[in-house]
Amino acid sequence: MAASTSSSSASLPSVTERRGIPAASFVEDVETYLQQSGLDVNSSLSFLQERFALLEAFFPPFSRLQQYRIVEMKLLAQQRDLQAKIPDIEKCLDIVATLQAKKGTGEALIADFEVSEGIYSRARIEDTDSVCLWLGANVMLEYSCEEAKALLQKNLENAKASLEVLVADLQFLRDQVTITQVTTARVYNWDVHQRRIRQAAMET
Amino acid sequence: MQQGEGSETQVTWEDQQNINKFGRLNNRFHELEDEIKVAKEANESLEDASNELILSDEDMVRFQIGEVFAHMPREEVEGRLEKMKEDASKELERLEEEKESVLAQMAELKKILYGKFNDSINLEED
Repeated sequence: MAASTSSSSASLPSVTERRGIPAASFVEDVETYLQQSGLDVNSSLSFLQERFALLEAFFPPFSRLQQYRIVEMKLLAQQRDLQAKIPDIEKCLDIVATLQAKKGTGEALIADFEVSEGIYSRARIEDTDSVCLWLGANVMLEYSCEEAKALLQKNLENAKASLEVLVADLQFLRDQVTITQVTTARVYNWDVHQRRIRQAAMET
Repeated sequence: MQQGEGSETQVTWEDQQNINKFGRLNNRFHELEDEIKVAKEANESLEDASNELILSDEDMVRFQIGEVFAHMPREEVEGRLEKMKEDASKELERLEEEKESVLAQMAELKKILYGKFNDSINLEED
């Protein structure tokens, strides 16, 4: 990454939002920003940090930072769900593969399974061409081993793809939070700096 | 991460991007630490299972697949366990490598950001 000597706006963000998350606009120069927005320092800090009336009806009046935090919690919850779902699907695929492998041999698969907490029983799974898959919402369908494998594989790929998008969303979100925090600090520092200048001017 | 009082240094878009990148890397670093911990435990469990298998002298072993324990001949279990241990060990290695890379990138960014902002920026863990 080459160091730039001037404050260039060569690649300012052109993204204004991502999947419903508003982008935080980057402030080139604090003084210009305050003049253009017509806000004084305190109002500006409120806008970023504190209560802030919104046009979008979706969010009640929260500050930018609070909105971001709310969305972040939602995304983190979704991420946890997906991360739990993926190993489950992989286990199902493993079982289907094991049943298919047994098919050729003519032997039955003997398995111990949990009947209730702490109580196990033995099952004898004969040579079979089909399995039943739990689809959710109290629905279970019978599939051939091949179809089941294909369906599970597709679900696995979808889950992984969703997870990727989610992770990218979270990264975008965290960037916007960082930008908002840095802008807040800069507005505050600028104000302190201005006061110092005024103070110095008064004393001379 | 805070900035100091009344600093004069201008923050450019490139600086902001560096700060954002540092934040992302830091998050990834913490995630990796957790993932590495899980991976290490998985490796140990597989090692323990392997040892148990050697000590036992049964022909039929109950091997967990999903929620059930399937009865499997010993050799097959040995084979499966070996493969799982190999995969787990590779995964751990991959995670450790990624962690090294993240730490190196963070060190690089620290140099750049401290270079420009020195005391006005704090990039340490609080």
